[in-house]
Amino acid sequence: MLYIIEDAINGILMGSIYGLAALGLTLIFGVLKVINFAHGSLLMVSMYVAYWAVTLTGLHPYIALVLVVPVMFIFGYLLQDIVIKPIFKAEKNVREPITVIIVTTGVWYILDNLTLLIFGPQYRNLEANPLRGKMLELGEMLISVPKLWGFGAAVLTTLAIHLFLQRTATGRAIRATSLDREAASLMGINAYKIYNLAFGIGTAIAGVAAVALVPFYNVFPTVGVLFDIKCFIIVVLGGLGSIGGALLGGIIIGLIESVAPQFMAATWTEAIVYGLFLLVLFVKPSGIFGVKHDW
Amino acid sequence: MTRNTLQRLLPLALLATVLCLPLAVRSATYLHIMILVYLYAYLTTSWNLVGGFAGVLPLGHAAFFGIGAYTSTILSLQYGISPWLGMLVGGVIAAAVGVLIGLPTFKMRGAYFALATIAFAEGFRVMVENIDKLGPFALNGPRGLQIPPLNFGLAEMMFSGKEPYYYIILIMLVAVLLLTSFISRSKLGYYLNAGGEEPEAAMALGINVARAKVIAMAMSSFLTALAGTFYAQLNLYIHPKSAFSLDLSFEIAFIALIGGRGSIVGPVLGALLLRPVSDFSRIYFGDTLPGMHLIIFGVILILVMTFQPRGLQEPLTRLYERLLDRLSGERRAA
Repeated sequence: MLYIIEDAINGILMGSIYGLAALGLTLIFGVLKVINFAHGSLLMVSMYVAYWAVTLTGLHPYIALVLVVPVMFIFGYLLQDIVIKPIFKAEKNVREPITVIIVTTGVWYILDNLTLLIFGPQYRNLEANPLRGKMLELGEMLISVPKLWGFGAAVLTTLAIHLFLQRTATGRAIRATSLDREAASLMGINAYKIYNLAFGIGTAIAGVAAVALVPFYNVFPTVGVLFDIKCFIIVVLGGLGSIGGALLGGIIIGLIESVAPQFMAATWTEAIVYGLFLLVLFVKPSGIFGVKHDW
Repeated sequence: MTRNTLQRLLPLALLATVLCLPLAVRSATYLHIMILVYLYAYLTTSWNLVGGFAGVLPLGHAAFFGIGAYTSTILSLQYGISPWLGMLVGGVIAAAVGVLIGLPTFKMRGAYFALATIAFAEGFRVMVENIDKLGPFALNGPRGLQIPPLNFGLAEMMFSGKEPYYYIILIMLVAVLLLTSFISRSKLGYYLNAGGEEPEAAMALGINVARAKVIAMAMSSFLTALAGTFYAQLNLYIHPKSAFSLDLSFEIAFIALIGGRGSIVGPVLGALLLRPVSDFSRIYFGDTLPGMHLIIFGVILILVMTFQPRGLQEPLTRLYERLLDRLSGERRAA
């Protein structure tokens, strides 16, 4: 029984980091109405930035945050501005921006394989960092310390993004664009600038997730693929576009992944996750927290 | 020569050329690349029935491909049934699965539909990876199925040379191209088009958009499964990661968009461009620059979508018309 509680706690902690990774995806979808298939790759790039920042400077892994977040914000902003915006404009009268979705897949292929070319296929990790393998003893249970910090980062980031969207003028402009692009444009909001901003913020959040992951997770060119599909499932569970839903969806996936192997072969948990995903899609496609509008 | 005769003769000349190609191309490698070009052109044309005409984005066609490959292989390995028959059985099963997937998902908007189809295909892969025996059928889990190269011959769809495969996939491709060009001019084609562009307006006109989409999905998944059988017989080895590969689903969509989604020639042009790029860069850069072909893929995709959002078929069709004008000395009748 104690094992199950221990697994559940670690699952919730890991799941919250999944949720953090998915938060940027849901924000970008909420505003652009595009599933960003390159999101896992952006997380991967962030992990490399964090890894090299720590390796080259010898700083504490969490200090890397001050470097990773602005770098990834600029990366996402420029990616949207230079690569995705022109395609958006070409397809602007189409209701379903299918081309843009596929183009983000192209970005995914390019980023993953460029990383493979530059850094090679080997796994890297921050071996000497003070957090690696650190455990908190809770009675007889062992709780991973870096995951605990990741949980904190996930909750704080979710809260911060929520407040930003609700309380600031920029946040209101983002929400207005998300609800109705044309009406927002008529109010003097530059929709494409908002898109750039949303993409930049979404990518910066992936940067936060990367900093939380790097102390205990391996970094390799295809690490994003592991998170990609997980993130899609999480945002649909929580409701595409819902900020709080991402965290909740992440925790659900983390719980399934950690507790289910106690009862069945570990390879089957993936099937359970897909099954749950399809169930939510059919029964309540707007997700647990999702708002029921256009899509 | 008048423009009309030219217009009729040129495709025939093209057909004669591709029919004679194996006589000129003696290298098995090059022939294999041609076979893959046709296979991907075929797959993308089948995908196009849903992804192009119906205006949605299916990203899980690997599920039907895998169903086709596994069904015919299991039937021939364990029951001695000819792959030709197994091919049809696989097609029917895939069509049924396609309808089951389509019924609930076509109600969803684009993003959800794309994600749901991925989840279905990946769900199939995970299940096949985890199941060793499904009732009387051995799936062999992650190890996959090996077809021993014993009974060569047309009845077993197994040949020692590449040429028979070349002709089989060529016939399949020509057939599916004729079928789609027929459908695009049929009532179903117009229904699909209307439903893809303006679903509300189409429904207001009394068109049963959902029904048209489900029919297209059934045909598309049936045809995709046939290619799965062909692939199994060509490689004589299938496993879940190859037959239910997510990359396959994406590659089909890539080819369709680059060539021109919703057009007849688009998938062929896309496959003709992308497959050789991928195979040759794998041959030349495979050891030194792994993954180079996928970078090239992505760059081509982004460039084409930025400068020719309707795919390569548009400028190339214009070029072809101008060639016809030049050769016949006539202007196209407006």
